[in-house]
Amino acid sequence: MNVCIKIFRHDPASDEQGRFVEYDVPFEEGMSVLDAVNYVSNYIDTSLSVRWNCKAARCGSCAAEIDNIPKLMCKTKITSDSVTVGPMRAFPLVKDLVTDITSNYDKLRSIKPFTPGKAQSGVWRMNEDDVVRSQEFRKCIECYLCMDVCHVMRLHNTNYVGPRHVIKAASIDMHPLDSLDRSVELKEKHGLGYCNVTKCCQDVCPEKIQITDNAIIPEKERAADAIYDPIIRLIRKIRGVK
Amino acid sequence: MNLEDILPKEFLEPNIRLYSFILLIVIGLAALIAFPVKEYAGYIDPFYSPTLLIIPIIGLFRLTCYAFRKDYNRHLFKHPLQCPALPSADSSARAYTGETSLFMKIENYHRYFMYVALAVLPFFYYDLFVSLTYSGIFVLRLGSILMGLDVVLLTLYVFSCHSIRNLVGGRNDCYGCGLSAKMRKDVYKSQSFLNKHHRTFAWLSLLSIIAVDLFIRALTAGIGIDFVIMHVVL
Ligand code: SF4
Ligand code: SF4
Ligand code: FES
Repeated sequence: MNVCIKIFRHDPASDEQGRFVEYDVPFEEGMSVLDAVNYVSNYIDTSLSVRWNCKAARCGSCAAEIDNIPKLMCKTKITSDSVTVGPMRAFPLVKDLVTDITSNYDKLRSIKPFTPGKAQSGVWRMNEDDVVRSQEFRKCIECYLCMDVCHVMRLHNTNYVGPRHVIKAASIDMHPLDSLDRSVELKEKHGLGYCNVTKCCQDVCPEKIQITDNAIIPEKERAADAIYDPIIRLIRKIRGVK
Repeated sequence: MNLEDILPKEFLEPNIRLYSFILLIVIGLAALIAFPVKEYAGYIDPFYSPTLLIIPIIGLFRLTCYAFRKDYNRHLFKHPLQCPALPSADSSARAYTGETSLFMKIENYHRYFMYVALAVLPFFYYDLFVSLTYSGIFVLRLGSILMGLDVVLLTLYVFSCHSIRNLVGGRNDCYGCGLSAKMRKDVYKSQSFLNKHHRTFAWLSLLSIIAVDLFIRALTAGIGIDFVIMHVVL
């Protein structure tokens, strides 16, 4: 049995426009989309560009749009006799399935880094539950599928920093030893208000991080504490907490 | 100032789904005002609990609720209609403000509407009590069961709110620190469990309110669908 795989081909250096090209690939039991794409690049057309590393859903390199849904190619099994694979359209195209995700590293640098306060009696102690809470966000493999699926990133030209970077901020904000609050900055500088909590990001996350529920909404609520809630602001001032 | 400055652009697009939804709300409100059914045989209509005047604020509680926001942003405003990157989902030609526009900033005030909702909740328990005891003896009728279900769903809905989650621990960086750490942790964890099901409670409690209202309206119209399950002489 053969699988018909339609792959987006576009070399910005020579082609004006991209197009989907069909390839027939012999099907093997348990075949992933990445296996089929690699078959094409090894045996049919070696000029096909594709990025991958681990083949085990750990490195996040093989992110693509499979039948229009952002997914990891190595983690997606082929289950029908045809499949469409395109690059992540939220990012500038380098060639074929490879996109330029550099902007994400600049964004990560724009989030204030971990800034510990004073250690109590010289020893850092953390409660296990607090570790677990921010550990959820550290599972991120930086595949940027969440950024790709987010309609704000794809379609609307705003200053929203995007779901991956909100969980980055949340993972430091919710660290008990950190002394800063990034929620106001997220709201005012990083466009958190553009997220309309439609949860597509958490639906596609291969690490099943509850991006919207555990990072975005809590950060929105923290920002509301600081900006829209004078009572909370007053209480915090009196108690001297950040 | 023209309409586009006040209303989000999405309201001004041809969008049958959104228009029919608004129409439904208008018809519902008109029915409540033109054909008021405040009470029947000890059943107080949930829309009058405690007064019809509270409805705009409770309406805003639901409108700014994160669960409903997801649903209307997707299904009424199509931002985006679905997650797969299909042309029908959304388009860059459509203006988009999220909650940053003057109108939508109200979503940031969800907690204040939540406080009002919390304050209104006891009235529903009182109504349930009235329905059980209105004739001087304890009578359990079908209507009271519906009202009981309604009040449970409403309680679950309000207490699973994301703003409450922030209040009981979400805002703390160290929710297992300080005095009575164990209790605070347990509260935060149980609330987080409820919070996971917030959307389900949001919709079920909306349906149950409408069901109780329709039930009381049916009784008022002379349709005898109520019956006594048991009674106890006090
Ligand atoms: S929940 Fe927010 S960040 Fe996530 S996809 Fe939707 S708009 Fe984007
Ligand atoms: S949050 Fe999930 S989807 Fe987003 S980059 Fe990290 S692993 Fe990928
Ligand atoms: S190849 Fe590493 S995640 Fe797919």
